Amino acid sequence: MLLTPYRVLDLTDQRGMLAGQILADLGADVICVEPPDGSSARAVGPFAGDDPGPDRSLFWWAYARNKRGITCNLDHSDGQALLSQLAASADFILESDDPGVMSARGLGYDNLSAEHSDLIYTSISAFGQTGPKASYASTDLILMAAGGPLILAGGAGEAPVRVSVPQAWNHASGEAAMATMIALRAKSKIGRGQHVDISAQQSVAAATMSTILASSIGAAETARVSGGMVVGPFMGRLIWEAADGYISLTFLFGSGIGPFSQRLFNWMYDEGECSLEDRDLDWIGLGAEFISGQRPLSEWDRLMGVVGEFLIKRTRAELFAEAQSRSLLIVPVTSVDEVADSEQFEAREFWREHDMPGWPEPVRFPGPFVKLSDNQIEYRRPAPTIGQHNAEIYAELGLDAEALNDLRERGVI
Amino acid sequence: MTTVIPNVPAVPTEGALAGLKVVDLMWVVAGPTATRAMADFGATVVRIESANRIETARGIGPFHDNAQGPDHSGLFSNMNVNKLGLSLNLGTQEARDVLLDLIKWCDVLTESFSPRAMRAWGMDFESLKQIRPDLIMLSTCLFGQEGPLSRVAGFGTMGAAIGGYIALAGNPGGPPIGPYSAYTDYLSPRFALPTILAALDHRDRTGEGVYIDQAQAESSLHFMSTALLDYTVNGRVPEQVGNADPAMAPHGCYAASGDDDWVAIAARDDGDWANLCAAMGMGELTCDDRFADLAARKANEDELNGIVAGWTAEHGAIEIEYMLQAFGVPAQAVSNSAAAASDPQLQHRGHFIQMEHPVHGVATIEAAKGQMSETPPDYRSAAPSIGRDNDLVLREILGYNDEQIAQLAIADALT
Repeated sequence: MLLTPYRVLDLTDQRGMLAGQILADLGADVICVEPPDGSSARAVGPFAGDDPGPDRSLFWWAYARNKRGITCNLDHSDGQALLSQLAASADFILESDDPGVMSARGLGYDNLSAEHSDLIYTSISAFGQTGPKASYASTDLILMAAGGPLILAGGAGEAPVRVSVPQAWNHASGEAAMATMIALRAKSKIGRGQHVDISAQQSVAAATMSTILASSIGAAETARVSGGMVVGPFMGRLIWEAADGYISLTFLFGSGIGPFSQRLFNWMYDEGECSLEDRDLDWIGLGAEFISGQRPLSEWDRLMGVVGEFLIKRTRAELFAEAQSRSLLIVPVTSVDEVADSEQFEAREFWREHDMPGWPEPVRFPGPFVKLSDNQIEYRRPAPTIGQHNAEIYAELGLDAEALNDLRERGVI
Repeated sequence: MTTVIPNVPAVPTEGALAGLKVVDLMWVVAGPTATRAMADFGATVVRIESANRIETARGIGPFHDNAQGPDHSGLFSNMNVNKLGLSLNLGTQEARDVLLDLIKWCDVLTESFSPRAMRAWGMDFESLKQIRPDLIMLSTCLFGQEGPLSRVAGFGTMGAAIGGYIALAGNPGGPPIGPYSAYTDYLSPRFALPTILAALDHRDRTGEGVYIDQAQAESSLHFMSTALLDYTVNGRVPEQVGNADPAMAPHGCYAASGDDDWVAIAARDDGDWANLCAAMGMGELTCDDRFADLAARKANEDELNGIVAGWTAEHGAIEIEYMLQAFGVPAQAVSNSAAAASDPQLQHRGHFIQMEHPVHGVATIEAAKGQMSETPPDYRSAAPSIGRDNDLVLREILGYNDEQIAQLAIADALT
C-alpha cells in the first residue's frame, strides 16, 4: 500500500478521527491512543441496535477502521512517558485536544520534537491553536456558523439550517490529512518534521464555495435561497419537484451548462411542452442577452416556470433515465437508503463488509475513497476494541505481560 | 496594516513542494481546490484552459464589484491563485502535442473530464504509462471511470443530491434544502490530495507510477458514514431534522435583533444549560422540571426554543456570542461574508490575503487552510487570465522557440 512504511499515533477523538482514517486507508500503520476507559468517540451515537456501549458506536466503527488501538492515560506521568517513547517510533502524531492541553502534559510539539526532530505533529482544533477564539466552547453547529457555510443554507428569511449529520470536524480532519501529507513531502526537502495547525473554522469555510470573499471584493452578500443559488442577477434553482419527490437539475446558460439546457429543451420540445422559440434560444449566450437588457430578466423566471411544469409531471426515475440517454444534468434527490442500495455504487463494487464484535451479521461500510491502479485501499481490520493491541505494541517498548498488568492496575493503560 | 502581495507569475523555487510539477486539466471547484493547495506550498502547477470553452467557475460569483466577466469571478480567483495559466485548444492535434510534452515534463497529471475524453485522445493512463512509467495521474469525476452512471456528466450540486446530502438538510416535514451549492466539491479534494501525495511518496521509493480513479460521490460518502451505518446496521433512514441534535438541547439558530442576524447556540450538557440560564438572567429555569435534563429538554424542545428565541431577539448576535462564551456556553454569530471579514479569529489566522490583480487592483483570496511551522505557504501570483502564462510555459518550461510558438498560433492551438 502507498503509505505502508509510515506509523501514525492517532490521539484524536471525535474531533479528528477522519484524518488518521485517510492515512490508514492509504496503508499507514495508524495506532489509536485512547484513555484507559476508551475514547470519547465511542460515546458518539448512533449505536448498533440503539444500545450505547464502547464497542457499539457507529461513529467509532466508521472512523477507526484499519487502525490498531492501545490505551494510555496521558494525564498520568507514566502514561506521558510511555507516549514519549512510542513517539520515537512514529512518523506522525495527530491530536485534537483543546489548545494547550497537550503542552500541559509535556506532550506538545515542542516537547516531542526536541527528541525527535523528524516528527510531523498535526493539531486539529476548533479555531486554531492561538487567537481570541482559541478557547471558545464549540460544537459542529458553532463551527458551521463561524466559518460561513451555515448562513447560506435555508429558506429566505428563515433560520439557516445545517446538515443533520455533523460535518465540521470531518472538514477539519480532511484538511489535516492534506497538510500532514504536504509536511511529509516537505520533510525530504528540509530534513525535519514540523507542527501543522488546523482550524475547523477555516476548514469549513471551503463549504462557502468562496462566497466568504463577497464583501471583501465588493460583491453583494450571497442570498439564502432554499433549493437554489444566486448567480449574479439570476436565481438558479437546483432542487425541483418531480411527480414523486425531488430531483436536482442544474439549469443555466453559458458555455459550461448551456449545452445541457439546450438538450433539456430539445426533449421538452419533442414532448410538445415548450415552444420552438424557447428551444432555439442561444443557450450559451443567453446570459449576455439578459445582462445587456436585450431580454428582460422576467424571461428567466418564465423559463424556469416552463421547466418546473415539465418536471412535476414526471417521476424521478423517468427523469433520471432520460437524463442518462440525453446527457442532462438531472439526478434524484436521494435518501440515505437509496444511496446504500444504489446500482452505481454496487456496480463499482464500492461497499465493503466487516464482521464487528458483538454484532451478528457482517456490516456494510462505504468503501475505498479512490480506486488505484495498484496498491488498492484494503479494509484490513475493523475498528479496535479498547486496548486490543496493547500487548503487541507495548512489547515493542520491552514491556511484558507482568509490566502491563502493573500499568493497568495503576491506571496508566 | 494590510500587505498587498505583488502579482509575479513564476516557477516557484521555495516551499514544501518546490520542484513538484503538475499539469492540471481540472476545472470548477473540486479539482482546482487540490491543485491550489499544491501550488500554495511551492508546486509548479500549469493550469490548462481554453477560451473556446470558458471554464464554468469564471461565470460563478461572487463577482468583483458585482460585475460579470471572465476575470471577475472571486471563485475562479480564489481557486487558481499561484497557478500558471496556459491556453490550449485541445481540439487540435498541435495542442495535444503540447500537452504530451507537458506530460513528459510533469510528475502529476490531473484531469476531470468525463471518462471518455482522455481515452479518445490516447491519453488514458495505460497509454501514457508507455512513455511515462512513473506518472502519477488523477482522474476525478462525479461517478468514476466505470459503472452504469460513469458517462453522466456531473457537477457537485448533483453529487450533493445523489450522495444523500440534499435530503439531509432541511426542516422536518419541509422540502429538502441541502447544504450550499456543490457540496461534494468541497469534500472530494480532502481525499484526492492526500492520495496524490502518498502516490508520489510511493513513486519516490519504488519508481512506480500510480493511477487514481476518484468518484467524487464515493469519496464524499465518508463524510456521512454514520448515517449510512445507521441504515445498514439499524435499518433506520436518517432524515433532515432542521438544527436539532439528538444529544443537545437547546441547539439551534436563533433570530437576533438585527436584520438577517442569527446566532447559533448549543447546550452540550446540563452544565451548559445552567450557564445559559444564568447568562440569560433566567436562573429559575434550572429548577424547571420541563428542562431538568436532556430527555426533558428534548421532550419540551419547542417551548425551550421559544424561551431562548425570546431572549435572543433582544440582543445582537455578536453580543450574544460574547455573553454566552463568557459563561462557557457554545455560541457563535452566524457569519456572512462581512462578519467573516471582520472576525477577530479569522484575522488572527490571516485567513484573508490581498494580492495585486491586473484587472481589480487588489483581489482578496483565502489563505491556505493548514498552518505549517516550517514551510509556510507562499503567495506569488493572482489567478491567471486565459493564456496569461503561455510564454513562460512554452519557452521556459518546454523550451520552445519563436518558430514553434508561431506554428502553434497558426494552427489555432493556443486559444
